[in-house]
Amino acid sequence: MNKKIVRIGAAFAALTLSLGSAACSDSEDSGKPTKISMMVLGDKPSNGRLEAMLKVLNARLTEQANATLEPHYIEWADWQTQYNVALLSGDTSLDLITTATDWLFAWENAQKGAFLPLSADMLKKEAPKTWAQVDAKGDWDLTKLDDGQIYFIPEDNYTQWTNHGFFYRGDWAKSAGIPDGTITKFEQFTQYFQWVKKNKPKAYPWDVAKQNEGALTGYLQGHTDWVTLQEVSTSSYYPFQIDNSGATPKVTSWYYSSDQLLPAVTQTKQWNDLGVWREDALNYDGNTREEMYAGLSGTEQHHTQTFVTQVVDTMTKKQPGSDPKMFYWGQENGNVYRDIKTHGAMAVSANSKHPEKALQVYDLIRNDKTDYDLLNFGIEGTDYVLTADGKLDHPKGWDISKDALDSNFWGGRMDEFEPTKVTDAPNKADIYKGLDAVAKVYPFSTLRVKKDQIDPTLTAIGGVFSEYIPQLQYGKVKDPAATIAEMRKKLKDAGFEDALKSIQADVDEWSKTHKAK
Amino acid sequence: MRSSDKSDYALRGVSYLVVTVFTIFCLLPFVLIVSASVSEESQIMEHGFGLLPRGFSLTAYEFIFKSPRQLIGSYVVTITMTVFGTAIGLLIIAMTGYALQRKDFPLRNGISFFIYFTTLFSAGLAPTYLWVARELGLRGNYLAVFLQLLMTPWLIILMKNFVRSVPNEITESGKVDGAGDFRIFLRLILPMMKPALATTGLFLALGYWNEWYLSSLYLGSTVEFKPLQYYLYNVINTANALKSSMAGNNVTVTQLPTNTLKMASAVVATGPIVLLYPFVQRYFVSGITVGAVKG
Amino acid sequence: MAIQLDARRVRSGESRPAGDGRDRLRRIGHSKTLIIMCLPAILFFLVFAYAPLPGSWIAFTNFNYHDGIFGSPFVGLRNFEFLAKSGQLWKLTRNTLLYNVAFIVLGNIVQIAVAIMLNEIRSKYFKKVSQAVMFLPYFISVVLVGVIAFNLLNYDTGALNALIERTGGDPIKIYSQAGLWPFIIVLFHLWQSTGYGSIVYFAAILSIDSTLFEAAAIDGASAWQRTRYVILPSLKPTFIILLLFSLGGIMRGNFGLFWNLVGNNATLYDTTDIIETSVYRMIISQNNFTTSTAVGLYQSLFGFALVMLCNWLVRRVNEDYALF
Repeated sequence: MNKKIVRIGAAFAALTLSLGSAACSDSEDSGKPTKISMMVLGDKPSNGRLEAMLKVLNARLTEQANATLEPHYIEWADWQTQYNVALLSGDTSLDLITTATDWLFAWENAQKGAFLPLSADMLKKEAPKTWAQVDAKGDWDLTKLDDGQIYFIPEDNYTQWTNHGFFYRGDWAKSAGIPDGTITKFEQFTQYFQWVKKNKPKAYPWDVAKQNEGALTGYLQGHTDWVTLQEVSTSSYYPFQIDNSGATPKVTSWYYSSDQLLPAVTQTKQWNDLGVWREDALNYDGNTREEMYAGLSGTEQHHTQTFVTQVVDTMTKKQPGSDPKMFYWGQENGNVYRDIKTHGAMAVSANSKHPEKALQVYDLIRNDKTDYDLLNFGIEGTDYVLTADGKLDHPKGWDISKDALDSNFWGGRMDEFEPTKVTDAPNKADIYKGLDAVAKVYPFSTLRVKKDQIDPTLTAIGGVFSEYIPQLQYGKVKDPAATIAEMRKKLKDAGFEDALKSIQADVDEWSKTHKAK
Repeated sequence: MRSSDKSDYALRGVSYLVVTVFTIFCLLPFVLIVSASVSEESQIMEHGFGLLPRGFSLTAYEFIFKSPRQLIGSYVVTITMTVFGTAIGLLIIAMTGYALQRKDFPLRNGISFFIYFTTLFSAGLAPTYLWVARELGLRGNYLAVFLQLLMTPWLIILMKNFVRSVPNEITESGKVDGAGDFRIFLRLILPMMKPALATTGLFLALGYWNEWYLSSLYLGSTVEFKPLQYYLYNVINTANALKSSMAGNNVTVTQLPTNTLKMASAVVATGPIVLLYPFVQRYFVSGITVGAVKG
Repeated sequence: MAIQLDARRVRSGESRPAGDGRDRLRRIGHSKTLIIMCLPAILFFLVFAYAPLPGSWIAFTNFNYHDGIFGSPFVGLRNFEFLAKSGQLWKLTRNTLLYNVAFIVLGNIVQIAVAIMLNEIRSKYFKKVSQAVMFLPYFISVVLVGVIAFNLLNYDTGALNALIERTGGDPIKIYSQAGLWPFIIVLFHLWQSTGYGSIVYFAAILSIDSTLFEAAAIDGASAWQRTRYVILPSLKPTFIILLLFSLGGIMRGNFGLFWNLVGNNATLYDTTDIIETSVYRMIISQNNFTTSTAVGLYQSLFGFALVMLCNWLVRRVNEDYALF
C-alpha cells in the first residue's frame, strides 16, 4: 500500500517538475545565437511593430555577436510587484535589467545581490565602446558600491531634464494680468488660479489627481536652497534634503525641519478653499493631462521632458493660441539640479547564464548607430521617417495609440544618436540652454547611505508621511500649524532623528574623500 | 390556519420587495459601466459618468474590436482553465469530502485539521513565490495559476458538510453488496451529491474566472495571452498605478487608456459571462432541487 | 490535536476505538481506499501550503537574493519594529478587527435573510433573474468598484450629489467625512458579497427535508415560526463553519476593496485604515519582502490565538459547540 502512495506522489512530483523544467531548458549551443533577454518597463505592445523591428535587429545582432535580443516587459498596471518578483524569482533567462538609483532601487538591489558585479576587465573586453565612453566622462564611480565594484552601466551620455514644474497657459496668464504672461514666482500661481476660477467656469485651475506633492515641493524648493537627497526614499516620498550652504553638508528635511513648510501649507489651504482642484482630487483618477489638452484644466504638473516632447506640441494643436509655458521648481532662486546620470542604467542579472554575451549585445545597441536606431525608433519608412531637415517624423496615418513601437530602452540612450523630433517643442533648445545656465550638478551621486540599520525607521517614517502629506499637499487641514506639529511629533516618535543622525554620519564619512560643491 | 396564511403572505410580500430593491441596487453599477462605455470621452471628462450615456459613441468598442486577438486569446485561456480546473478540482474535493465524513475513517479528524490549519498560517508572498517560481519552476507557466486554484480548505470542509446529508445507509448498503469504497463513492454517493457539486463547482469556476492576482505574480507579461481578468486589470489599472507611485514622477507615458476604453473593456470582458450565467444557473438550480427532493 | 469540523458535533453513537495502537493501525489499514481518495488533496496542501511555510523564516532575516531565505543574516525582530514605531499598530488592529466583525455579523445576517426570502419567492422567473443579478457585483473588478464609487459619491460631479442638488439640498463632501466611511465600506462589501454568500445558505435551505415543512404546516406554524424553528436551525452548521473560517482570518483585510475605495485619501484613514492598506503604503515600491512577511506572521498569530481563545470560551459554556 505504501508503495502505491509513494508511486503516486512521485508521479505527481515528477509531473510538476517536468512541466516546470521544460519551460527553462535552454542549452547553449555555440552554433546557435544566444538569446539575450532585457527587462524593460512599460506596456508590452501587441501591434506587431516591435516583432517586426526585432526581426531586422536580431538578424544584425546574430551576425555581429551571434546573439538575439528579447525585451521582457514589466507592465505598468502592477509594475512594482512585477519588477520585484522578477528579481526574486532568480529567473535565469533574464540577462539585462533596466534600473535607476532614484526610482528603481538600484543600490538596494545591488546590495541584495540581484546584479552581477562587473569587473573593469570584463567591461573592457565585452563592451569596449561603452567602457571607453563612460570612462572618458569619469562616471564609473557613480555605479560602485562600497566594495569598489561596478554594478551597472549608467545612461550618462543622454541629456534629459526630469526636473518638475507646472505647465500653464500663457494666454490665460496674460489675461490674468501677469506681465508678459510669464510666471516667474511660485506664488504668482495664486493670481493665475484666481483668474481661471473666475473666468473659465468649465475648467479647474489645476486639475490634479491622487498623489502629487507639487504644491509643497514646488514651494519649498523655491524658498530654500536645500537639495533633495535622491539616495533615500520611503513610501513614495524623499524624506531628506541637504543644506549645502555651510562648510560641510548638513542633512535636514523640508517636512521635518523647514520653517517654509508652514507658508507652503498655508498656500495649499488657500488654493483648496479657492477650488483650484477638485474637492476630491485625492480619489480622482482621471487623465489630467488630457483635461488640459481639452481646455478643462489650466495647469498640469510634470517634468521638462514631458513638456518639450509632448505638451507643447499637443497644446499647440488642440488649443491653438494657448501659448503653453512651464515654470520649474526652484526657478525663482536657481535651486535646480541636473538629472543624475543614473536616472537610467542597465545592470546584468546575477543569474544570467551568459553575462559576456549580454554585455556584447548591450555594447551594440548602445553604440552601433544602425542597431540603436532600430531599437529606439523602429524601421525607417513604417515606424518613422526623416524630414528634409533631418528631423524625426512618423509616416502618414501613423497613430500613437495603435502604432507605437514602445521598445522603452531607458538604460543607455546616447545624445549623438538622438535626432530632433518634429513633435519637439520649437523652443526646446532655448529651454535646455536656460536650464543649462542655472542648473547645478548634483554632488552626492557617489554617496552610499547605509540603509540596513535605518530600514525599519524609514518604513515607519513612510507610514507617517503617507498619512499626512496627502492632506498637506491639498490643504485639507483646519489648522496648518497644528497639523504640521502633529506630523513632526509622529515623525520624531518614529525615529526621524536617529535616521538623520545615521545619514549625517554617512555624509560626514563621505565628505572626507569627496567635495560637496 | 388563518394566521399562518396571513403571515405567509406578509413574508412573501416583504421578500418580493426586499429582493427587488436589492436587485436594483446590484444592477445600478452595471448600468453605470455600460452607459459610460458608450459615452463620449469629452463628456465624461467634463461631467463624470452618469446612469444615462453622456453623448453617444462606440469609439471604444471599435478600438477593441479592431484587434480582438488579445481578448479572444484571453477568453480561450480563461475558459480552458475554468473548465478543466473545475472538473478536476471538483472530483478531488468530492472524494476528499466524502472520505472525511465517513465515520469509520480513523484519520478523518487528523486530515481535517491538516487542511484547516492552512487557513490559519500561510507562508506569505515571498516564501510562496520563491517556492513555486524557483523550486517548482512554475514562473511564466499557466500551471502556477491553474494548480493553486484547484481547491481551498473552505470548499473541502463545505463539501464534507454537504455529504453529511447523504444518508449513511447508502454507504452501508454498498458495503453489504461488497462494493469497494471508491466504487461506492462513484456509483452511489456522487449521483446524490448534485446540489453540493453544483454549489462547489460554481465557487470553483468563479475562482478561476475572477483570478488576476496569481496571474500578476506568476505570469506577468511572460505569456502571450493573459487570463481574462488580469488582462482587464491591466487595461483598467495602468493609470492608477502610475499615479500612485514613483514611476509617475519619472516616466513620460504617451498613451493611457481612456475612461470609455476602460469601461468598454470591462463590458467586453464580463458581459458574456453575465449573459451566460442564466444558462449555467438552470443546471445549478435544477441540480439543487433534484438533490433536495431526495435529501 | 483533533479537530471536529463537522459543526454538528457527533454526540454519541461512534465511540473511540478502545483497542491499543495496533488495533488503530489495522483500522487505518482497512481504510486505505479512503486514504488514497484524500491523497490528492493532501498532496496539494503539502506542496502549495506546507512546503513554503518554513520560508516564513525570511521575516527574521535581512534577506538577500544571493544567500536565499536560510542563508541571509538573522536580524531577530527588526522587521517587526516598524509596526511599533509607526505608532499606528493599535489603530490598525482595531479597525481591521471591527471591520471584520461587521462583515461577519452583517454579512451572514444579510446572506441568510436573502436566502430565506429567495426561498419564499414563488415565481420561478423572478427568482432566477434576481439571483443572477445579485451575482453580478461579484464579477466586477475591484478596481472598477473604486471608479464606480467615485462617480457616485464625489463632490463635483457625483451622481448622488447631483441628485441632492436637484432636490434642493446641499451637496455633501463625502470624501472628507471619515465618519461616513465605515457605512460606505460595509455597504460595498455587502453589495459585493451577498449574492455570492447567500448561495451556500440557499443550497442549505433547499436541502432541508421537505417533511419538516409539511409537519410544520400541519401544526399550523406561522411563516415566522417556520423560519425560526425549521429553517434557522438547519442553517446553523453552515453558519458555524463559515464563522470558523472567518475567525482565523480576522486580522486580514480585503485589501482590494479598501485600497480602491479610499486609496491615498489620508483624511479618511482614522476610520478606514487597516493593516493591509497601511503596510502597503509604507513599503510601496520597495522590495521589502521581509517586512510584509513579518506583518503576515503577526496577522496569522493573532488569528490563531483568537481561534484558540474563542474555542476555549465556547468549550467552557457548552462543550458541544466547541470547534475542537
